[in-house]
Amino acid sequence: MKAVRNIDFSVEKGEMVAFIGPNGAGKSTTIKMMTGILYPTKGSINVLGFDPTKNRRKLAYEIGTVFGQKEQLWTHLTPYDNFKFFGAIYDIPDYAVEKKIEELKELFELGDFINIPVRNLSLGQRIRCEIVASLIHEPKILFLDEPTIGLDPVVKENIRSLIKRMNKEYKTTVFLTSHDVGDIEKLCSRVIIINNGQVVLDDSMENLKYHYLNKKIVEAKMREKVNLEDEDGITILKDKGYNLKIEVDTEKRTVADALKLLNPDNIIDINISNVPLEDIISSIYRKGDKS
Amino acid sequence: MLTAVRNQIRISLLTTKYALVREMLNKATFFMNIVFMILNDASFIIQWVILYSIQDGIGGYNLKQVLLLWGLAAGTFGFSRFFFYRAFNLSEIINNGKLDSYLVQPKNVLLSVITSDVSTSALGDIFYAYIMAFIYKCSITNILLFTFFIITGGLILVSISVILSSLSFWFQKADMIAETGVSLMTSFATYPDGIFKGAVKILFYTLLPVGFVNYIPVGILSEFRLEYLILVFVVALFFIVLAFVVFYRGLHRYSSSNLMISKI
Amino acid sequence: MRKYLYIYKSEIMSNLQYVSNILFGFIGYFILLFVFFNLWKYLYSDPNELIHGYSMEQTIWYVIVTEILWGTVGGRKLCQKISNDVKGGNIAYNMNKPYDYVGYSLFNHLGIATIKGIIYIILGFLLGILFLRMVPSHTIITILLVLLSSIMATIISCFLIITIGLFSFLIEDSNPLYWVYSKLILILGTLFPIEFFPKIVQPILTYSPIYAVAYGPAKLFVNFSWDVCLQVFITQMIYITIGYILCKFIYNRGVKKLNVNGG
Repeated sequence: MKAVRNIDFSVEKGEMVAFIGPNGAGKSTTIKMMTGILYPTKGSINVLGFDPTKNRRKLAYEIGTVFGQKEQLWTHLTPYDNFKFFGAIYDIPDYAVEKKIEELKELFELGDFINIPVRNLSLGQRIRCEIVASLIHEPKILFLDEPTIGLDPVVKENIRSLIKRMNKEYKTTVFLTSHDVGDIEKLCSRVIIINNGQVVLDDSMENLKYHYLNKKIVEAKMREKVNLEDEDGITILKDKGYNLKIEVDTEKRTVADALKLLNPDNIIDINISNVPLEDIISSIYRKGDKS
Repeated sequence: MLTAVRNQIRISLLTTKYALVREMLNKATFFMNIVFMILNDASFIIQWVILYSIQDGIGGYNLKQVLLLWGLAAGTFGFSRFFFYRAFNLSEIINNGKLDSYLVQPKNVLLSVITSDVSTSALGDIFYAYIMAFIYKCSITNILLFTFFIITGGLILVSISVILSSLSFWFQKADMIAETGVSLMTSFATYPDGIFKGAVKILFYTLLPVGFVNYIPVGILSEFRLEYLILVFVVALFFIVLAFVVFYRGLHRYSSSNLMISKI
Repeated sequence: MRKYLYIYKSEIMSNLQYVSNILFGFIGYFILLFVFFNLWKYLYSDPNELIHGYSMEQTIWYVIVTEILWGTVGGRKLCQKISNDVKGGNIAYNMNKPYDYVGYSLFNHLGIATIKGIIYIILGFLLGILFLRMVPSHTIITILLVLLSSIMATIISCFLIITIGLFSFLIEDSNPLYWVYSKLILILGTLFPIEFFPKIVQPILTYSPIYAVAYGPAKLFVNFSWDVCLQVFITQMIYITIGYILCKFIYNRGVKKLNVNGG
């Protein structure tokens, strides 16, 4: 069985990269190979100058991992004791661990619950602790796998801003996998999309969002009924008489062309927007399946 | 190298400590588990008292020696299950892809995994073992020797379980083999070797090394022989090395969790 | 009755795939008998010797039969299932179903027990013949009676274990209780016949469940006599009644407690 083949990309220090793809595309396999969990059947891997298959332990000192649902913390201990334990795993002297914990406590706002056993914490608090635990040894790369899964929107937002702050503070490279487009959009400046074991897209978030599809969505509320039909570059997505939704392919037609088709005097309300990132991504996924 | 070993031992002991703390959260259950295990082990005295009422000296052992044999069996069992509990469900850990979190740590994977949990009732076995050792002969050398054999024997048991469980890297059903192999060791460990004749005895010193875990040690505790002591030590070392070799061979084939699902 | 038969049948079907697991478990059984065979061969230095009225073959067949009975019941699983049902609230869910929980649990478990029983009987006999090269003499009638009393023994065991599992209603952890029960049966009931124990404890053992769930069928198998047969069946009838009443009693009390607590 071949899960991935010939994946090649390089990441700048301090960059936050989204590593995404449909289920079964091979992203977990890639991450697990990069972190030394899986052995590739063939070929070589190089992360931070290490081959994970040969220098697994050396590499381990340089990377941190938060694997979404898999908890690394002892639930009967407090976050503080857990952090000390992780300090010991990475052979960090006591005074250094304590200093680091103090620092991360401030950054991730753990002050209120750092001395409460993990099992009594909320899911959001736990995830914050998981992230802190993986940062104790000051890794150069942090692998985050579905960090906000199962969280409510407010907590999600909170976790995202904390990760952002951490990245600014420590210049830690973040390698994020998530099915949550919000995570990707809010955190990452670069997107790598993988499908069928191959990289199908590696671009900046900006390019992906504004240029990949070259499409705009025009939603308008009309005073009178308009009868429109599909023509080159313009697709009617929804036509309920007074409410219209049109997709404009900006390579073929301008938005102004589209507006001319609607009598501007008849428009009560109008909204012109980009195609949602989610749609862009799924269209890329689908393309990959066809090939 | 030496610091690495020291740090590894420190982590393993710390893990054992935390796991013990967790077990002790419910004090009543904790003590009950220990006491019941002591009673469990002691209940087999009934069997032997009845057997010895039929005949003195069974398989070359007197009653006290049989109790010592039982003590040693309980001690090696307890030592291995307390400090290396996870070695006895390693198959499940491999099959379910639960090695991931240990693989991203800069420590020895095998040691980190197998020391990551404790069995409380195993403490009962250890207590019982020492009660039997004291009944047999209350002297410092005797207790020290007994401790030595609990450690070597326990490590042999752990190694056997690791070796058999590591077969799970190659095929899934290996958990049954591991379970059966380990329980066979225990079945033989509590009966005098003198009742067996012929080819089985060869098994005791090869495939099912009960001889090195139980029989030779009881012999040495009855009558000291240095060469046998060294032999036990060397054999234990051999099994430990073999366990590491087999486990790490298999680890290359480790397939983590989500791949497993697609394989089924 | 049909719904119980259905539960029973579907449980058999779903367990057939575990036959390989059972076969592996059988290795343990083989080794145990192998050890006992060696032990008793050693103790019976003269092949014609009788110990407490038993020949070597009888003593070993006794162990074979009691171990078949013990292996067939597989009590630990049953006890765990019941106490999980109680603690996990499954029992409250079952309360609304149109069947009796005790009956459901019994037949559900008998499904597994049947498969195990058949395998254990076949393999137990093969081993007995392999080791001893003889089988105690029986007529078709007497062997059927032994089988019947073995089935009764299994049902009694199940009732007693269900009772223990249901104790989870009253105490936090019923495991220690099961443990005591299994130790009593194993040490006092399966290793050797009641006659091997000191005279003073023999009457106690005779009136204990050990007689009904282990000694009775095994004794009938190794040395059948109509007197003992009658005695065994009377004892087993009494224990079946007691077992069922105990189950229902604890269950009803537990359910009441559950209602008071609001589930």
